[in-house]
Amino acid sequence: MSTSLEHVYELEPRIKVARARAGVLLLIISDALAVIAVMAGSQYLRALNTEGQYKVAGDYAPSFVAGLLVMIGLLLSGVAFYLWDRKASKAGETGQSLFLLLSLLIMLVAAVGETWIGATLRYGVPIQAYESAHLLITWFTAIHLWLAVIIGILLGGRILRGRVAGGHEFVAEVTGYWWYYTVVASILLWLFASYLT
Amino acid sequence: MRSTTDSTTVAVDQRPSLFSSLFPSVVSGIVIGVIGAVIAGVLVNKVTTAYSPDMVPNDNAVAASVFIAWVIFFMIGVGAFNGIFEWGFGRNELTPAEEMHMAGKGQGLWRYFRYTTDHKVVGLQYLATTLVLFFVGSLGAFSIRLEQSRPGALFFNPSTYNTIVSMHGIIMIVATIIMITGPIGNFVVPIMIGARDMAFPRINALSYWLLFVDVPVILSTLFLGGFQTGWFGYAPIADQQLTPGQMSYDFFIIIFAVSTTIAAMNIMTTVLVMRTRGMTWGRLPITVWGVFFSVALGLMAFPFFLMVQVMVVLDRVYQTSFFLAASGGSNFLYEHLFWFFGHPEVYVIVLPALAVAAEIAVVFARKPVFGYRLIIASMLGISILSVIVWGHHLYTSGSQDPLNIPFMLDTELISIPTGIFFLALVGTFWRGKIWVTVPTLFVFAVLVNFVIGGITGIYLADLPTNEILHGGMFVTAHFHFTLVGAGVFGFFAGFYYWFPKMVGKRLNPMLGQLHFWLFEIGFVGTFLFLFIAGLQGEPRWSANIAAPFVTANTIASLFAILIAASVFVAIYNVIYTLARGEAAEANEWGGKTLEWTVSTPVPLENFEELPVVTSLPYTYGEPVPAAEGRVPATEGGVEGVQPQIES
Repeated sequence: MSTSLEHVYELEPRIKVARARAGVLLLIISDALAVIAVMAGSQYLRALNTEGQYKVAGDYAPSFVAGLLVMIGLLLSGVAFYLWDRKASKAGETGQSLFLLLSLLIMLVAAVGETWIGATLRYGVPIQAYESAHLLITWFTAIHLWLAVIIGILLGGRILRGRVAGGHEFVAEVTGYWWYYTVVASILLWLFASYLT
Repeated sequence: MRSTTDSTTVAVDQRPSLFSSLFPSVVSGIVIGVIGAVIAGVLVNKVTTAYSPDMVPNDNAVAASVFIAWVIFFMIGVGAFNGIFEWGFGRNELTPAEEMHMAGKGQGLWRYFRYTTDHKVVGLQYLATTLVLFFVGSLGAFSIRLEQSRPGALFFNPSTYNTIVSMHGIIMIVATIIMITGPIGNFVVPIMIGARDMAFPRINALSYWLLFVDVPVILSTLFLGGFQTGWFGYAPIADQQLTPGQMSYDFFIIIFAVSTTIAAMNIMTTVLVMRTRGMTWGRLPITVWGVFFSVALGLMAFPFFLMVQVMVVLDRVYQTSFFLAASGGSNFLYEHLFWFFGHPEVYVIVLPALAVAAEIAVVFARKPVFGYRLIIASMLGISILSVIVWGHHLYTSGSQDPLNIPFMLDTELISIPTGIFFLALVGTFWRGKIWVTVPTLFVFAVLVNFVIGGITGIYLADLPTNEILHGGMFVTAHFHFTLVGAGVFGFFAGFYYWFPKMVGKRLNPMLGQLHFWLFEIGFVGTFLFLFIAGLQGEPRWSANIAAPFVTANTIASLFAILIAASVFVAIYNVIYTLARGEAAEANEWGGKTLEWTVSTPVPLENFEELPVVTSLPYTYGEPVPAAEGRVPATEGGVEGVQPQIES
């Protein structure tokens, strides 16, 4: 993202690249800790099983098959992004935009799918701890996917304006960091939710 | 790095229309934010009523929608999303003219009320907000001391009293978290490392405006029934609070966590990659190290605080059961996640304050810093240890009995790096030709207060004494000696030290000394007597004091009058200085860090040419500057003092 004064006073390209990498990686670290907080909290409740009420008869997890389809979609989205990013990260290249479009489309479908999974959870109140954990994990994942969609749309806009090549190739690299992180974190959360089940 | 254009005197000379002045600005932010919040509240009220079997709206859902809409629409109104949109869909990068306009060039004081990217503007915005939060928080403190000055319910019922204590606590915690990393981290640190701005100026502005919108969120609790959970917001009390005032607390923390996380990312990135040539890690000023460790800790601790508040919101809005034992939840989950944040948070506050104290000690001792590497290593040691000691807050809870002894031992280990830090601070002053100024007085107070706070902390770290002292006034007095005695006094040391550079005017030293002595005597007196009340067995969270504790509390309240007086002296000093204060010199104190090499007020681009650093900024050894303790500035630095850079 453009910052003040760097167009008035040149900022060395290596600093621009290092800045983008550092910023995204630090955000990933912070978000990964939030993911760990969710998983640690859920596992803690499972281990405590307070008053034997952690999971009672009738409690259920989100659909496994629907979740599996979302995760397969995420993997494909990550691969498609990689195919775009591999070329776009090189100087003077914009990558093959079709792959980015494909990646974005699959991510969009995955986000819609995860939202549908969350919206169709018909848990009766009060929601038991087991179902509470599933509800949180499902919506936490959905928010991450929608965030990736927004980033993908912004990136798509930048490509349409021709602002990825010509000194801005690192944009492809650092958005890739977040994209792959989203895929990995979502899959980990889904695997963890399956383990809870 | 060179100037690529001389068109910095851009078209900002054109007189803007009233509309372009107000949009985007804080005015349009508030207007659009309020409209969005009202619409969201009405809609969710109707929807939740329609879906409720009893035709009753879900107050918590309404409160949540209002807070979320307030933040999003305020940000639209203030122009926070413009940059994101331009990043994705703009045809070109910003022109130099647009860039200077964004940085506030030619906008006078109005730039402080807009989404301005200049780090100095953001730093001063943080400073003003910090002082306002301190004032609001101190009103709570004085209300507490008033209520506890005599036995019986004097002014408040227990519920109101608990809300006041809770609000005082969380507002002061937030104020102390931002007090150095906000104003000094934004204004001073980039100049100290030789940068023209922060790494991400737009995100910098975003972090401030998120804090700005957060203030009304916590104050809204006064109209929503308050919250009585204390600053830690313990669940399941937080779940079971009947009024939506608790939601104000939860969203206050969620928004603050987001603000702090992106601010931490920005400051860390700035220090990691924006340092000028020659500014190696071994030449970084101590303040920069302190701020860096503080925000790094914050970056790692805040996600836990954020997520635990999200869980409370889910419990309240959707009736999940993260913390309700009857449905398989556990209060221990809250306590662990909270204190995993809560203990590092103490060092998020204290580390930069100690670093500022060390920075100032060197300048006013006028001798080389004692153990620069020891200071950095001790701050690193404190940072690492601080994330593995949270369990000492749960000694008596019964959740982790087998781990109590390991937690006790690692807690006590912290006294080793802390002791090293103090050794270095005392060593710096030792045999120095100390120039006693207002900042120096505050540094001396840090030394005294933090020693008291640290030693009393050992009794709380030890299991046997903790069994007796936990949950009492002893704890209250201990953490006030730590957070206020070291943290806030360290902040005021920095405040008096950098105010001339930040504002361009010199605070009145006589009023500064009066502020200091009233504050220090009042503070030590108040909390020493609360130590006594704690040793007598007075519990915290008691609106009405019992007979055995009356004397100690009455004396503590009398001392608190001095603190109240000091607040008003400080306010008067700031207002008087802004109105009639003398202009400050470029190098007010003869400092050698880079911020003292630039003119006052600091130009928009900070440096005409980026400096090249050649040494540590603490190689003093020259005599004390003469002339009534004031140093005449020269072009290349200060007479008799070699600056950190080649002149």
